[in-house]
Amino acid sequence: MSRLAFSKPSKLKRVGSILPALFIAAIYMLLPTFGLRGFWLDVLTRVNIFLLITLSLDLYSGTTFYLNLGVPFTVGCAAYSLALLNRYLGVPVEYAILPSAAISLVLSLVIFLPSLRVRGAYFSIMSLLLPIVMAGIVTSQPFSLYLGGEGGITYSPLFFSYARGLPVKERAFFLQSTYFYISSIAAIIAFIVSYKVAYSDFGFMMRSVGQDELLAEASGVNTVRVKLVGFLISSSLASFAGSIYAAMRPPVTVDVFIPANTLVPPLTAVILGGMGTIVGPTIANYFILLVYEALWDVIGRWRVVLYMCLLIVLVLLRPQGIVYYLYTKLKRLVSSKIAELTAGV
Amino acid sequence: MEELKYILIFGSFHSLTYLVFSLGFSLVFGVARLPNLTYGALYVLTGYSTYVFLNYLNTPLYLAVPVSILLTAAISLAIGESVIKPAIKFPVSVFITTVAVAYIFEELFSIQMGLKPVTLPLYPGTTSILGIPVSNHWLLITAVCLAMTLALLAFLYKTSTGKAIRAVAESWEESMRLGINPLRVLRATFLISGVYAALTGILLAPLKALTPTAGWSPLFAAFAIVVMGGIGNILGTVVASLVYGFIEQSMVYVLGGGIARVAPLILILLILVFRPHGLFGRGE
Amino acid sequence: MVKLLVCDSVTKKFGGIVALDKVSLEVSKGELLGLIGPNGSGKTTLVNVISGVITPDEGRIVFEGKDITRLKPHRRVALGISRIFQGMRVYPYLPVYYNVSLSARSVYKDARLARAKTTWALTITRLLAEAGELPINLTPYKLRMVELARALVTGPKLVLLDEPFAGLSPSEIDEVIEIVKKLNENGLAFIIVEHKLRYLMKLVNRVVVLNEGKKIFEGKPDEAVSNEEVARVYLGVL
Ligand SMILES: Nc1ncnc2c1ncn2[C@@H]1O[C@H](COP(=O)(O)OP(=O)(O)OP(=O)(O)O)[C@@H](O)[C@H]1O
Ligand SMILES: [Mg+2]
Repeated sequence: MSRLAFSKPSKLKRVGSILPALFIAAIYMLLPTFGLRGFWLDVLTRVNIFLLITLSLDLYSGTTFYLNLGVPFTVGCAAYSLALLNRYLGVPVEYAILPSAAISLVLSLVIFLPSLRVRGAYFSIMSLLLPIVMAGIVTSQPFSLYLGGEGGITYSPLFFSYARGLPVKERAFFLQSTYFYISSIAAIIAFIVSYKVAYSDFGFMMRSVGQDELLAEASGVNTVRVKLVGFLISSSLASFAGSIYAAMRPPVTVDVFIPANTLVPPLTAVILGGMGTIVGPTIANYFILLVYEALWDVIGRWRVVLYMCLLIVLVLLRPQGIVYYLYTKLKRLVSSKIAELTAGV
Repeated sequence: MEELKYILIFGSFHSLTYLVFSLGFSLVFGVARLPNLTYGALYVLTGYSTYVFLNYLNTPLYLAVPVSILLTAAISLAIGESVIKPAIKFPVSVFITTVAVAYIFEELFSIQMGLKPVTLPLYPGTTSILGIPVSNHWLLITAVCLAMTLALLAFLYKTSTGKAIRAVAESWEESMRLGINPLRVLRATFLISGVYAALTGILLAPLKALTPTAGWSPLFAAFAIVVMGGIGNILGTVVASLVYGFIEQSMVYVLGGGIARVAPLILILLILVFRPHGLFGRGE
Repeated sequence: MVKLLVCDSVTKKFGGIVALDKVSLEVSKGELLGLIGPNGSGKTTLVNVISGVITPDEGRIVFEGKDITRLKPHRRVALGISRIFQGMRVYPYLPVYYNVSLSARSVYKDARLARAKTTWALTITRLLAEAGELPINLTPYKLRMVELARALVTGPKLVLLDEPFAGLSPSEIDEVIEIVKKLNENGLAFIIVEHKLRYLMKLVNRVVVLNEGKKIFEGKPDEAVSNEEVARVYLGVL
């Protein structure tokens, strides 16, 4: 009998492992009161929102191994929906966040649905194609007339009407810190949701699809349903990222559809952090994005080249091992399952 | 009526270039069972390298073209050997590495060459077909593409390497039992597909503006065509290229160039909804 | 009485190859059926058609009186048809526990029931101690047990085993046989594809022999051994 398998982890121990994370989250949230402001507070806000994109990618592609290169499509559709709702229907951005995320989710689902039904390369090809098509559409006639063309669509950002009532000195900091809090809360919720899903039975079904789809199908897993629901959860994260980001940072331009902006950093974070682990990519997200941001002043556009080279090296070093260090984590999870089982027998 | 003529003429020309481009793509697709996402970048690369040879190094055209083609073929081989082959058992890894290489090229081009379109010299003169003036360059393209299609057919059916490629595309296990090394065959396909991407790149660059992102749309077209035609099905690929070329040109002349960008998207969606296994057979 | 499984002149072609040529077959409840034939005779294809991994070009598959010819594989599992694949096939990066429990969880909506079934399946295949291990750390015998546990956990009425003895030592084969026999006594039917006839013939009640996609024999194991045509296709094997 394996020694490991039958030790039941105590409640206290589990709380103990969450405590440091809570502590770090609390300190992090308090950064503005400790005096952080200006450029880097904005950057942290951005990075928080990018966590939603990273988790969206990790939750679906990290488990099912269907590479979703179309994340910029979902993010971008949400951002443009928000801008369009504001411009053409006059919906204030505060109220446009939810509907625009929903619109983007529905759009993504409808357009990806056919490729979710089948196995093979279709999904990844479709996902690679969509942001490129969208970038073409929003900048070319006749769509550019309605979608703002290269200049994009601008509007007044989240809580701006409220901030106008404040003394001029406080305005900027009020908006900055509010955005930071909102994005932090969104990041924390996204992390908890992703973690719960990825390590639930459903999450493991997504993993089974990734590891041997035919086997999963032939041994009872409704693979189409699993892919569909997984995609839905993952895409809602990306949709919210797009809506919230757009609400805070007008104007919305074609940049959201450009992979160098909305795909390269999250993808690198997912691979560096370990596909499907959620925790790894979350940590990597902060590291990768802060460095990406800092690199702009140093090497400009070469940062994309650098990150892509890093990505290639990481993948090639461990072509199948990008999932390898889930192992220890899983072993612990199973041991608690077994403990429950044997306790019931 | 006028438009119909345009569609007929340019649909045929485009179909032929798509056919050649797709044939090169389908070689690696058939053998590796994975789409080579760097294929569009190779197409753009050849255009830019020829441009650099001509305008920066003042190389004569008759030297710049073959050197660029060889260079692209070598790079195609290098990419295949370094980022596709080592990960071939794990598709998601290949997707990541190849898309990363494609993005690297895209960034390099836009950093070094800028976003402004560049062009290569056009074969001079025009000829009137059905009363429509057509650049002689299209006639050159037609001749070269026909020659390349026939050359590939001869290669696949007459030479031992070609036969090995077909055997591996049919089944890795079977071909291994026959004593063929699939990985060596794969190497040959990287090289040849590089040549095909390169030639289409050079031929089309004078007519289409060359930009860092110009390779994506032909890549998707090739994917759609190969899947629709069935991997390894030459006749299917010919028919699919015709279908694709005419659909795209109809969209260009009826709806305008902007919306024609969605042509590959629409086609892939149609295939997915109606015939996910290809219209003419074995598509993965 | 309704037969458990009826295959009615099933045909499947791959390009020019006729992998199954109008094959008809019946399995009753609690039966042990052997399916044999030389390499490439269509045994795996038949298993694939019954489990729904591929759909036949012609013919019907009826399970407990219900036509399932076009049913998706996972729905057949829920109805009571389980299978194992030829060669060891498991999720390489999932521990044994999840390799088994996911199938249970897909079939039983109640999580507690699924967990109880998983425990039961891991117990009869003697895998409880390895529940946290990854397949990479297991012996071929243990891997076969994982496959078996996964097939059993969904509460099947018919289990399709494609070469279950391949890669196992004689004593390990005996253990697999013992488990199969025990389950069979409780009314579970099996279709067993095997090349190791020495073991198979002692185990099954009836054999079907395929050759080049056609059924060439059906009957008692000892009759099969003495049948001329069977001997001819199996030249040197029997
Ligand atoms: N997916 C497929 N595509 C093309 N041909 C196939 C496919 N599956 C099986 N075949 C062919 O169908 C025939 C029957 O194959 P099958 O795998 O059913 O044989 P088998 O009896 O299981 O053989 P073995 O004893 O070697 O396992 C073979 O000629 C094989 O090449
Ligand atoms: Mg077989």
